[in-house]
Amino acid sequence: MLFKDIRDYQILFLGLFLVLGIGTRDWTLRPELIAVAIATCLSTQWILSSVICKGQITNLRSALISSLGLSLLLRTDHWTTMAFAAAIAIASKFIFKVGDKHFFNPANFGIISALVLTPDAWVSPGQWGEDWWYGLLFAGTGGMILQRVGRWDTTAAFLGAYSLLEAIRNLWLGWTWDVYCHRLMSGSLLLFALFMVTDPRSIPNNQIGRIVWAICIAILTFILRNYFFVSTAVFWALFTLAPLTILIDVLWSAPRFSWFWESSTDKGDSCRDAINRVSTG
Amino acid sequence: MKLFRLLTPLLLTVVAVLCFAPAAWAFCGFYVAKADTKLYNKASQVVMARDGDRTVLTMANDFQGEVKDFAMVVPVPTVLQKEQVHVAEPKIIERLDAFSAPRLVEYFDSDPCAATDWVEQAPAPSAAVRGGAARERGGDANLGVTVEARFNVGEYDILILSAKESGGLETWLKRNGYKIPRGAKQLLQPYIRSSMKFFVAKVNLDKFEQSGYQFLRPLQISYQSPKFMLPIRLGMINATTEQDLIVYILSSKGGAEITNYRTVKIPSDTNIPLFVKDEFGEFYKSMFQTAYTKEDKKVGFLEYAWDMGSCDPCSAEPLTPQELKQAGVFWLDDNSENNLSVPPNFRRFPSSNVFITRLHIRYTRNKFPEDPMFQQTSNQESFQGRYILQHPFTGEIKCQAGREYKRSLPKRFEQEAQTLAKLTNWNIQEIRNKMKLSVGNLTYSWWENFWSWLGLY
Repeated sequence: MLFKDIRDYQILFLGLFLVLGIGTRDWTLRPELIAVAIATCLSTQWILSSVICKGQITNLRSALISSLGLSLLLRTDHWTTMAFAAAIAIASKFIFKVGDKHFFNPANFGIISALVLTPDAWVSPGQWGEDWWYGLLFAGTGGMILQRVGRWDTTAAFLGAYSLLEAIRNLWLGWTWDVYCHRLMSGSLLLFALFMVTDPRSIPNNQIGRIVWAICIAILTFILRNYFFVSTAVFWALFTLAPLTILIDVLWSAPRFSWFWESSTDKGDSCRDAINRVSTG
Repeated sequence: MKLFRLLTPLLLTVVAVLCFAPAAWAFCGFYVAKADTKLYNKASQVVMARDGDRTVLTMANDFQGEVKDFAMVVPVPTVLQKEQVHVAEPKIIERLDAFSAPRLVEYFDSDPCAATDWVEQAPAPSAAVRGGAARERGGDANLGVTVEARFNVGEYDILILSAKESGGLETWLKRNGYKIPRGAKQLLQPYIRSSMKFFVAKVNLDKFEQSGYQFLRPLQISYQSPKFMLPIRLGMINATTEQDLIVYILSSKGGAEITNYRTVKIPSDTNIPLFVKDEFGEFYKSMFQTAYTKEDKKVGFLEYAWDMGSCDPCSAEPLTPQELKQAGVFWLDDNSENNLSVPPNFRRFPSSNVFITRLHIRYTRNKFPEDPMFQQTSNQESFQGRYILQHPFTGEIKCQAGREYKRSLPKRFEQEAQTLAKLTNWNIQEIRNKMKLSVGNLTYSWWENFWSWLGLY
């Protein structure tokens, strides 16, 4: 049933951002690469779940979300790189898991893999600009999803910690506050904070755990951006700290997140769970 | 059924790949004019040749006052020694400018009655205006200022300073005869606290006179640092109007972009009326201003992105390896092994090892608060600001196809007029009037239109 699942909204919103991006931000977004990302993500999900979980009905929503996330964030010169990123993003869900839980955000894993392992991938962090109405759009749509999945805490902790650190630095350096606003209004940062760092399936289950985890990512992002001048700092921070999820889940245990309203339906079915346990963009 | 399920996504992939295989880009037409930086009264030009964290930065100042008053203070990431500073040939920046400038090209329609396809005829002699004068720009411990190095290079006296606090630096500079604008103190502080050093240059008048140069030559510095940015904010202190900055980024990888502002392609590849040939400079300036306003004045414009081994059409010959080296390209000799380690499937090899990105930033204090940061990408997509004049066929027309061609022209001219009006914000009526002058022999009387509509003419 359409729009029963929260992920349908997510697919709708990410798709909307892609259309908006192509329409108003005149990017280097190339439709053929978007098609490759979607086709590869869906087929990889299909194949791996048919092999690993025979006889299960495959849910392709999560793969579609990952592919939209990749399309929004990853730039490449050649379709093979996008196909590689998409395939490895989905494969990471099946490979890197502890018990039933995968701990890398698939799109993030795909982006970092492409940046490291291929010579022609890059991320354009400036291309969303810093218009207030984009911020509002992201906050509105992202907020709606976070409200439903109950993960506002993670975004708030990440953005709160990050903006506090940037404020301290700004004060210390003596820049005017418009510099500070300019740094925080970046569309890419908001997109990350609302749609990627909040993936309920791969992040810690417990609320305190999530807050600690989000603050750690904010600190690492801040360090990488300001002291190592890494333009893709947020993605590296999330990638590096993703495995921490396992430790945090041990320290603060809590029931795992389920996409289904009737959470009993996917209990005790680890294979189906593995397929459905997905990422946000 | 099972097989089909598995095949569908694979099939989708194949279809997607087949449909969207990258089309070959072919730019042609005959080059007639370029919109180079001479259009702007005050345009700073900077060349950044960068590979890994090594940078060679060439700064051409637009200084136009008395040479003795010239002084520049530039925050730099590291302490520079004498061997890291050079004086560059002013001609190099002109060459880069000419090579990458937005260009006007011409096509000539062929005889619609001839059986052959559209064949381009020889162009009229180039209307490009060349030549003209070369345009150049031209210890006090208790203050917390340390002179890290002091040397002279060419006609310049150079100091490398490090400072502990901005008040001290300001005082030091004033005491040593540098005219520092009001408000500099607040702006120097962030650079000091980011542990940047200050590259301070003054002209040594004796040496300047000996050198025989009439203008100040560009300064070229090389350093190693992960910081890939331009400290433009200092230059905004006493600026009252918008400032133009042209940044040429030379890379061994591919195109460069700004990471903290949007990088937007300048409108390109559009057909515009023929009369623009005589006022291409004015056209480009108006178009840039219109695009700049439309983007709310807070983007950097991409004017050119191309592998430096070729150009099409060429507004200037590609730079020779010798000239590239003078522009700061330091990797020409030593990176042959680098390419071998690249997996073959992922990259189309460029024909040369230098990719140029020309960014045009127009900035003001309120729309561009933060210094622009850059990144190199492996984006090999070529781009150029290119504007097209399409000359109609003016010979005698004797066939049906020719009459249809002639009938299609007014619509085409109107389209060109509308495009021009949209790009430049010029008055459409004036554009139409001007066009009538240049294509006067192609207007039609009402009866000609009528007969041709009936198919009798």
